[in-house]
Amino acid sequence: MKMDLGRNLWFSHIRFFVLALLVIGFTGTAQVVDAADAYEIDTAHSMILFRAKHKGISYNYGRFNEFSGKLSIDETDISKSAIEFEVKTASVDTANEKRDQHLRSPDFFSAKQFPVITFKSTKVSMKEGKENMLEVTGDIELLGVKKSITVDVEITGKGKGKQGESLIGFESIFTINRSEFGMTYGAGAVSDDIRLIVTIEAQQG
Amino acid sequence: MLTIKQLFLGLLLPAIVGGGILLFARSLSSKSDTIGDEKGHSGFSGWLITAALGVGYTVGYLGLEWLPAFPPKLGVHWLFYLAIIGLIVAGFWHFSLWGRLIAQVALVLIIPRLLLTSTFKYTWGQTEGIIWWVCIAAAIFIFWYLVQQSFIVLPSGASGPFVYFGLSGGTALVLALLGSLRLAQHAGILVALFATNWIIVLVLHRNNKRFAFSSSTSAVITLLFTGIWMNGYFFAEVPAVIVVLLAISLLLAPIGRMEAIQRLGARYSTIAQIAIIALPVVIAIGIAIARSGFFGESSGY
Repeated sequence: MKMDLGRNLWFSHIRFFVLALLVIGFTGTAQVVDAADAYEIDTAHSMILFRAKHKGISYNYGRFNEFSGKLSIDETDISKSAIEFEVKTASVDTANEKRDQHLRSPDFFSAKQFPVITFKSTKVSMKEGKENMLEVTGDIELLGVKKSITVDVEITGKGKGKQGESLIGFESIFTINRSEFGMTYGAGAVSDDIRLIVTIEAQQG
Repeated sequence: MLTIKQLFLGLLLPAIVGGGILLFARSLSSKSDTIGDEKGHSGFSGWLITAALGVGYTVGYLGLEWLPAFPPKLGVHWLFYLAIIGLIVAGFWHFSLWGRLIAQVALVLIIPRLLLTSTFKYTWGQTEGIIWWVCIAAAIFIFWYLVQQSFIVLPSGASGPFVYFGLSGGTALVLALLGSLRLAQHAGILVALFATNWIIVLVLHRNNKRFAFSSSTSAVITLLFTGIWMNGYFFAEVPAVIVVLLAISLLLAPIGRMEAIQRLGARYSTIAQIAIIALPVVIAIGIAIARSGFFGESSGY
């Protein structure tokens, strides 16, 4: 009787151990898969530019110097891919400090009230009939207003880095209307439609 | 640069609306005077004087920005709702002293918490946030008291609107120089409204204080000024010293009641009192000019 009890306890320990191994194994595998698909944006080789028309006369360009983001690329099923972005509004740079200060003010980006612009994809698919072209739908949040946008994203290249890590490049050029986000100031001086040029190099992290 | 449309919608239109309401309030008040109403502005005509400011401001706001988001997203959006809250509080001003005090305390606590939601979220930790919150609420409460006191200590009917004309003008100038032309335009609406009030009182009731402000007007004045200053300091690049100088200017109003100044005679003591109140505003404008690089090489873009 005592022997049976001991054996049952031993089997139950074995069962628990095997179960634990299986759980750890599966979780571990899942983490490896995640890691294989995860990319970090390399800010040194990425850029977020914007273009606005001044008084309907000339195009003025600016950039955001500080941003970060993550990508998850699933090459076997692209719909499982995702992208997340965060841009620091205070880092706006148009090569004119006076203008940058004005852009950071409540007239435009209100950088103290809204320190970041965010983008989070909700749907990623291959663009029909176009190789290396994705169609990304996502929510962009600017000045506390969230809007869904769909943009074309070109896969500009793939390769390997110095440490053998995978690299991938994207570019997307699209237009938003700033008034849709409540940025209505200076309508006569600065165009409503703002072109964004987002070029990204991401490395597997 | 202000366009003709902005000048009309942000300055002229609120002045016309505010001036029209003030003249209507005056006609009502004159009628009550003829039947011997000693309370004067404590009733509907008193609220109309407040409405001249509150409605005038909301008209100016709508002219410049159109309807703000609800719930408000930008700090600027709050200014529209602050004018309306001020009008509602003014409507109940004479009902009960305790009710008024409770409303004042509730507003000075709730408004900074809501207007500065993002600052609480992104900039301050919990303890720091609570300290800032209490300090701002106390500052608004003190400013509200100073506004109420200014209606009593300022000598003539016309000097009240003139002082607030100067204060809003200084605020507009500082904002334009330093932080935000948009906020400056909102202070500009107040400039137009106080200028209208000043001219009407100057022409029609030069020495009668009752026609300048009603005590309930302090609600709209306090909420709008502190709303603009909070936006300027927390969301634009207006330094703390400038906001403090603007806010404490009214603190100097009682100095003009000192005997030495009163001995100068009615006209000169009024001028001296206004000059004393204007001093911090002038210093604030001076600091703003120095900081803005207005006379420097990179004055524009």
